[in-house]
Amino acid sequence: MSLLDVTGLTVGIRHSPLDILRDVEFSVERGEVVGLVGESGSGKTMASLAIMGLLPPGIELRSGSVRIDGTEYVDQESGRVRRTAGQMTMIFQHPRAALNPTMRVGRQISRVLELNQDLHRGAAREEAIGMLARVGIPGAARVARAFPHQLSGGMCQRVMIAMALACKPEVLIADEPTTALDVTIQAQIFDLINELVDETGTGVLFITHDLGAIAEMCDRVTVLYGGQVMEQGSLRALFTEPRHPYTRFLFEAVEREVDLRVEERGVNFALTGCRFGHRCPSAHPACVEFPPLVEVGPDHRSACFLHAEAATGGVVDGSA
Amino acid sequence: MSMTGPLPGGPGAENPHEPGDDFAVTELSAQAVRLPLWRRKPLLIVGAVILAAYVVLAIVGPFVVDDPRATDPANFLQSPSADNLFGTDKFGRDVFARAVHATRLDISVGLIIAVSAMILGSVIGVVSGYFGGWVDETLMRFTDIILAFPGFVLALVLVAAIGNSTLNVTIAVTVAYIPYFIRLTRAQVLAERELEYVDGARLAGNGPWRIAFRHVMPNSLGPSFVQATLVAGWAILTVAGLAFLGVGIRPPTAEWGVMVAEGAPDIITGQWWTALFPGGMIVLAAMAFQFIGDELGAEEFV
Amino acid sequence: MLRYLGKRLLVSVATVLGIVIVVFFIVRVLPGDAALVRAGPYATEEKVEEIREAYGFSDPILVQFRDYMGSILRGDLGTSIRTNGSVTEELLERLPASLELAFYAVLLAALIGIPIGIVAAARKGTWVDAGARVFAVLGSSMALFWLGLLLLYFLFYRLRWFPGPIDRLAIGTEPPGTITGFYTIDAALRGQFGVMIEAFHYLALPVLTLGLVLAAPILKMVRASMIDALESEHVRTARAVGVPGRQVLFRDGFRNALLPVTTAIGIVFGYMLGGNIIVEFLFAWPGVGRYAYSAIQVNDLEALQGFVIMVGVLYLTLNVVIDVVYAWIDPRIRLGKKVQA
Repeated sequence: MSLLDVTGLTVGIRHSPLDILRDVEFSVERGEVVGLVGESGSGKTMASLAIMGLLPPGIELRSGSVRIDGTEYVDQESGRVRRTAGQMTMIFQHPRAALNPTMRVGRQISRVLELNQDLHRGAAREEAIGMLARVGIPGAARVARAFPHQLSGGMCQRVMIAMALACKPEVLIADEPTTALDVTIQAQIFDLINELVDETGTGVLFITHDLGAIAEMCDRVTVLYGGQVMEQGSLRALFTEPRHPYTRFLFEAVEREVDLRVEERGVNFALTGCRFGHRCPSAHPACVEFPPLVEVGPDHRSACFLHAEAATGGVVDGSA
Repeated sequence: MSMTGPLPGGPGAENPHEPGDDFAVTELSAQAVRLPLWRRKPLLIVGAVILAAYVVLAIVGPFVVDDPRATDPANFLQSPSADNLFGTDKFGRDVFARAVHATRLDISVGLIIAVSAMILGSVIGVVSGYFGGWVDETLMRFTDIILAFPGFVLALVLVAAIGNSTLNVTIAVTVAYIPYFIRLTRAQVLAERELEYVDGARLAGNGPWRIAFRHVMPNSLGPSFVQATLVAGWAILTVAGLAFLGVGIRPPTAEWGVMVAEGAPDIITGQWWTALFPGGMIVLAAMAFQFIGDELGAEEFV
Repeated sequence: MLRYLGKRLLVSVATVLGIVIVVFFIVRVLPGDAALVRAGPYATEEKVEEIREAYGFSDPILVQFRDYMGSILRGDLGTSIRTNGSVTEELLERLPASLELAFYAVLLAALIGIPIGIVAAARKGTWVDAGARVFAVLGSSMALFWLGLLLLYFLFYRLRWFPGPIDRLAIGTEPPGTITGFYTIDAALRGQFGVMIEAFHYLALPVLTLGLVLAAPILKMVRASMIDALESEHVRTARAVGVPGRQVLFRDGFRNALLPVTTAIGIVFGYMLGGNIIVEFLFAWPGVGRYAYSAIQVNDLEALQGFVIMVGVLYLTLNVVIDVVYAWIDPRIRLGKKVQA
């Protein structure tokens, strides 16, 4: 049984037929780091917000299942996700904006401790300082009394990690944790996350557009485009033998050093078929249907009719 | 009575927020199914309908109702009936007839004030924003000072100084509202003048005045038009308020505020219709403008 | 923080100066013949001349201005034509009445506006929110004099719950000896609870009139800043780490929305000072607003001038106080930026 198992996740705009996410699925095992990769607008943040139950107003969960340790957390009737921070928590992309500007940093951590660990104020305060030290902040006692605007971006991110850890979560979602930070800090934060995974066996869902970061951090990867899963599998499988046309396109873009953060305005969310269809070099008439995820190797699946047809023995136009 | 005015600038909250993935959502919302106007902005329709009713009343009404000045002492202070929809006042005049005539006066005055303030304020705003420098500094200080007074008090003092004919009242209230438009237009101009078409116009050899008024100004007027709807409502409230205090338009002119002033003593003795009907019309008109302005995105606190 | 406050103070002083100049200009220069306006439409030629001499209207403008500034700085706001008394004294006498009215009105407005604003923000898009917004529009479009008359009609004439517009107390009642100038407080301090209750009775209708209308901008401001706060990223983080809904609403939402709300209350109070002319007139309240009204009736421009200056100064002082409070609440201003090790 996986630690986190997400299937059939479909998210859309209220009062509108448009789907932001369609049938997204992925899983995370204990002590594993799973990457969720895609361009800006691919829906990766939306997916994480959806399983956390933090969708913004106007966006609704249309269907899906979120199971942590086997227990279902989606309330089928209301479409709401009920989970507690102790099961799954999240850290965000812009650390300083994510912290409350009028509350001292130490207090922001200690109140999480009070809530999740049932500690009383004094003990929580001590523990919070300990956690700040644990995430690599020097002079933790002094920093605890500071406000977010007095700290650097890297420090704020560490604080956020400390807050997340204070929940003692089984699953941690890290949404572009280092994109807004220096490259040097990035390495430190990665190390920190890896240490914590080794120590506590927490499962991590690592969201990014940076393939390099994926290569460093992740055990398995899911590739997302236009709110749809394109390909997923072990890191080795995807990186050595990418099968899906979109994944190949991604790798090529990295080789040619195209910046993937540039907003790709081509996604047509009204399409019911494959969302990559209009940009795909191998597109053919079948692509107006939604492609199913099919096995293309051990721990390797791809959502493309090329592979679906191959699996059923149909004729396919040449593209290996 | 407008409780409106500028917020003193506090230190701005930081917003280091970048769109990131939320970008996709705004894109999508734009693609989303377009609900019909009446569903999306119902209050706008309500406001527009009410306003249209007032305009029709203003134009057609006076031809249809009785003479607003006709007194009928025998029939004074009659409560509303089929003959007198709003009852009669202490001189026996038909309150409804007076209210209808007042509609024409008040609505026109309100609109004139809003439009005049908008035009004058925008011109000054364009000059201030486009030319900058000490001209801008002085104009801004001046605007700040005027805005330091509640608009009503300023209008009051001006009317006390220059007299209370209808024209003077209109002028006084217009002056009180000009600063809002100065600020709005100036803000727009400051943004516009950085845009490329301005450089283009300059390269084409246009002089600064021409660029300011022929090119930049038309593009900077958007928010001002919207604000003007709100200001029209406030203007009506202010004019009526001045009349109520006896400082504005005088009796026996049929004006809503005047009617309320005349009817106020009657309330104490229980004849509510002389004051409450005209007053109600003021509030309804102001509300209509408020609905329209709000839904179009006007600033509450300029 | 001190530097920020210092700057604000300087700007305020400059603005006060500006107000004084503008008022002077309006009162002395605008009317074609200030003496004629002062004397009124029924004065004889000699009377007009007299006034011209007495007020120095025939002196060159700059001299007039110098004299005027001189007396202002000495606290002398001139002499009232109507009463022949010192405008400064007369204003100060009446100020407590206006302040008491203003205080309770703003209190009521806040008690109504803030909770409704919070609930509307927390339940954005629902009927509750829609209702709150309609109330806000109503308040913003309200004519104070109409609402006052409406309340007078129903709560005084029909229901007799509250007294009619006479004064701050019934005709026979002795006001409590002055400590603060607030009848309600002074009476309580002196143990005269009957008087205190009566004072509240007489305060009720004017306070209700003003309070209901002032609640609208407060409601709007609270709602807007709460929505901003609730949709902010740090609230999302708080929810992500399991902070319960109610605590998020208050500690992360409202506490952070407090900053702009404080400013809004300041503005509202400021408008009270000027806008209560109508209410004081309607309810025969012996405050500075009513004084201004009487002044206008007889063209007592000196008194009106003094009133306007006083209002302007009070409003600016209030803003500076608000800025101090604001700076104190917001740790970003209070502590400045010190990047830790």
